[in-house]
Amino acid sequence: MSIEKSMKQFEQDRLEAARIASRLLLASGTTTPRVGGVGECTIHIIDDPCGIEDLCQNMESMSCENKAWDFFKRDAAMLRDADAVLVVTSLRCVTDPADINCNMCGKMTCESLRETEKLPGDADVAFKGPLCVFRANNISYAVDGIISQARNLGIDYGVFWSVGAAAMRMKILPHVTGFALAVAISITEKSPFRDIPLKYGEINERSMNDRIIKRLWPQFRSIYS
Amino acid sequence: MAIREMNDLVQSGLDRSIELMTLAAHNSFRFKNRNTVKIISVGNEEIASIGEFCYSLGDMSPLAARDGRFAMELIKEPCGFILLGDKRKSDFNYNCGACGYKTCAELNKAEVVESLTAWGPSCQFKNINIHIAANAAASTAWKMGLYCRVFSTLGMAAFALKIIEEVDLVVGVVVSAAKNDPFFDRHKYWTKEHWDETFQKEFPTFTRGFIGAVEDEGTFKI
Repeated sequence: MSIEKSMKQFEQDRLEAARIASRLLLASGTTTPRVGGVGECTIHIIDDPCGIEDLCQNMESMSCENKAWDFFKRDAAMLRDADAVLVVTSLRCVTDPADINCNMCGKMTCESLRETEKLPGDADVAFKGPLCVFRANNISYAVDGIISQARNLGIDYGVFWSVGAAAMRMKILPHVTGFALAVAISITEKSPFRDIPLKYGEINERSMNDRIIKRLWPQFRSIYS
Repeated sequence: MAIREMNDLVQSGLDRSIELMTLAAHNSFRFKNRNTVKIISVGNEEIASIGEFCYSLGDMSPLAARDGRFAMELIKEPCGFILLGDKRKSDFNYNCGACGYKTCAELNKAEVVESLTAWGPSCQFKNINIHIAANAAASTAWKMGLYCRVFSTLGMAAFALKIIEEVDLVVGVVVSAAKNDPFFDRHKYWTKEHWDETFQKEFPTFTRGFIGAVEDEGTFKI
């Protein structure tokens, strides 16, 4: 089937819808509750395909750095089909503990959390904890605010910590970011974030197109022409 | 057709709303599909004891005292309170480092630190799952037009009083169907004199006219 003008228009409008929707999701995520009413989260939109690809490649390289992160490859395969990504940060969880001595981090006082040495910035460490858990919990509200609005708008979404970790490593977030999570959105007929088969990092729509259409079809055409 | 009075309808609607909030929290997004969050709803009697406990902490925490007094006021009109909690150990195997341990196994082996507010150290993603559920409950309340606020103080008090058991971390979501929004302002808890005195103590430079000036009973000296 040839791509008609109206089909191209649909594709442009679909991407524009994702661009607008991501801003509305940012609004919803920003206005969700914060503990003590203290602002500390920022939300960053990446809707440029090259920016999303950079994230994916970083996630793939991180997947080799820790055995537990093998699923980052699968996440990267999903993220490549996203139209936009919203990365939510916590800016106070490293530098500014909440000073309420909640003990969620395992330290009886915030003062002892401040004095505790952080994990080194090794390749197999995603977040240099211990973080102020009370502060970092704010991200949950922002993420669910985004999810809640995505559901209202009927937009498919996926939540990934791998993307947040990769964005931090790429240093595209504010420098005091201690913890980050991401919500990817897609405006397509089939959600790229659901019904994920095994080995999806290797076998997905993109690799199937490459192997079956771009590799086998030209050979078939050469031989049988 | 039987006639039902407004108060009865409001209370009945509120009870149903709390069930729907719990449902939304129960079905909210969870990392690694770990649906381990425990959710309970408590009535006025428990809210009153939580309020009293918080108020008793006034010397240590003015915020807890304020929320304690607020809880006592809240139960004078139709209200509800759900508590969400979970265990602190990780069953994710993400080895992300956020807790301060390089692996989840190390976190799970670490010695538990018990306190009135929560038991730590705790897995960051366990916390994230609890608070996503809390926001799902709060956003459902918002959509139904209820007055709502998330309370860490009241949640921690409920944990200290063992109102919710078999959890290490707790947060609470309060809703109200009062005649006026009880969360709009809480001026009534403070006299003007007390407010002015506290503000002056906490923000002494607010009225200072010149950097470097020393305040002395209303006069400025360089």
